[in-house]
Amino acid sequence: MQMDFHYYATYCAAYIAGYSHRESLDIAYSAQFVDDCSRTLLEKIKGPSSAATTQLQLELMEAGTDPVGLQDITRIWASFHFLPSDLYAVKEKCSKRYLDKYRLICGPNGDLVVKTVELAKGKPVQSVGIAMHVLADTWAHTNFAGTPSLVINNTNHVFYELFPDGDGFKEKQITFRHKKSMPDDLDNSIYTNSLYQQNENTIMNLGHGRAGHLPDYSFVRYRYLPAWGDYEEIVKDNPADYMKAFTQMIYALKYLKGEVSEFMKDTYDTEACRPWLDRINEIIRKRQLTAADDWKAFGEELSGQAIEDFSISKYFDEYTNRGKEERDETFIGRFIRGAMAHKGMVIDEIYKSGNKLAGTVKEKINRRAGQ
Amino acid sequence: MTLFQRVRSVLFGLLMLAVAVFFIVNPSDTAYMFVISVLTLGLAGKGIKDIVFYFVMARHMVGGKIILFQGVILLDFALFTGSLSNVPKFYILLYLIVIHAFSGVIETLRAMESRKTVEGPWRLKLGHGIVNFLLALSCLVFIRQTHTALIIYCVGLVYSALIRIISAFRRTTYILIK
Repeated sequence: MQMDFHYYATYCAAYIAGYSHRESLDIAYSAQFVDDCSRTLLEKIKGPSSAATTQLQLELMEAGTDPVGLQDITRIWASFHFLPSDLYAVKEKCSKRYLDKYRLICGPNGDLVVKTVELAKGKPVQSVGIAMHVLADTWAHTNFAGTPSLVINNTNHVFYELFPDGDGFKEKQITFRHKKSMPDDLDNSIYTNSLYQQNENTIMNLGHGRAGHLPDYSFVRYRYLPAWGDYEEIVKDNPADYMKAFTQMIYALKYLKGEVSEFMKDTYDTEACRPWLDRINEIIRKRQLTAADDWKAFGEELSGQAIEDFSISKYFDEYTNRGKEERDETFIGRFIRGAMAHKGMVIDEIYKSGNKLAGTVKEKINRRAGQ
Repeated sequence: MTLFQRVRSVLFGLLMLAVAVFFIVNPSDTAYMFVISVLTLGLAGKGIKDIVFYFVMARHMVGGKIILFQGVILLDFALFTGSLSNVPKFYILLYLIVIHAFSGVIETLRAMESRKTVEGPWRLKLGHGIVNFLLALSCLVFIRQTHTALIIYCVGLVYSALIRIISAFRRTTYILIK
């Protein structure tokens, strides 16, 4: 997902769930900041590098694909962008090495989503934003794993875009190119994707790189052949999935706000957004590279307040101008603690499932955590 | 990385260093034959690795059979290389010059690109580029020397060994805040 959903749509979901304009902005900022909090950025603001929630392209290029490097990549991408749906998934007649990767395939409504939302309960808005990012991405990034893997994340020439046509759909073959400098050509179904690399662990095979930005567009429907799917095609219906992501966020936000007592899988608060259902559907289904303007306009109508554009450095001065001991109580400080707690939880769950791909967690009681 | 993997990495790195230093100090035709043997074994290893990878991982992947075919072909190349131990060293040096000069250009371009966007990582890339240029230059300057190819190979071996040893000491655990 892109900034349009992580920032503006998250703001809308938070406001519909009952948060104030200011709280909704902070939740939206935190949700979007997950896509920006790289080691390079943390180094710049002198934050702990272990709190990184993403990796820049250059950082990935420098990342090793030895066991240590792979664990580092998996920790970040599986925790924040490709939350595994079933760490105990079963596949017959396959090796442990294959199964470990297979079990990291992302999907919605898994046990880890529940744990993610529950972990954010009673925590500051920064943790709420992080949880919303992770939850939303389980819908967009479904069927891909947050670890480099050819045998899981690869795709081939079987890739067709589906256009509504009467009661059914007409198909158009998708063309992929590798020119990152050129925007996707929506009119001609020409999209940019990563190069085919036969090395199992190259970063080219991380996440949905081989499917380009298709999972990030709310309007698109497509049919393709995932590498792990035993030659069974998958139809990905993003408009339906994005609607579920939006309504599940509202439900989760209500739980975090205390209006719902329990967060359960496969539950969506469609009722809360019924007055705006057509409007939301219209935004989701509109063919465009980014729906930021439409979500922003909708959010401003909802709250009657101006939604400021996302400014990455909004809270940097507050963090960098404080002494080390006081930083935990700043906005970025709380985000960092929320990110580390979430990352630790996911790594621990993966490790407990007998899977070493994300490494181990060294438990350490942080003195400041008790204050 | 587990303790066993760390120990294994360090020991293998030290072994590579020892072999490289020994050949640099005592270059000979026997050493050259040894390197040819290593290349043969390397290709064979890659071929076998691909075949194993197919049966362990790619067997379940759509289109995975191509990896099996590739493994078989590499294994065949390994056997072919092993039978070509009498190729003149001049051609091998030409090959090394092209490879290192090309790598040098690529690394330098990537370093320049990195420098425009983020501070830090570009220095390492530029360093790699310069080293590659120096290796290509060395091959060119010493093209008539009998043992140049062997020594260039050994310099690469030293670099790989050092990287392997340094990697073994990298931190692997993650701090959980409760």
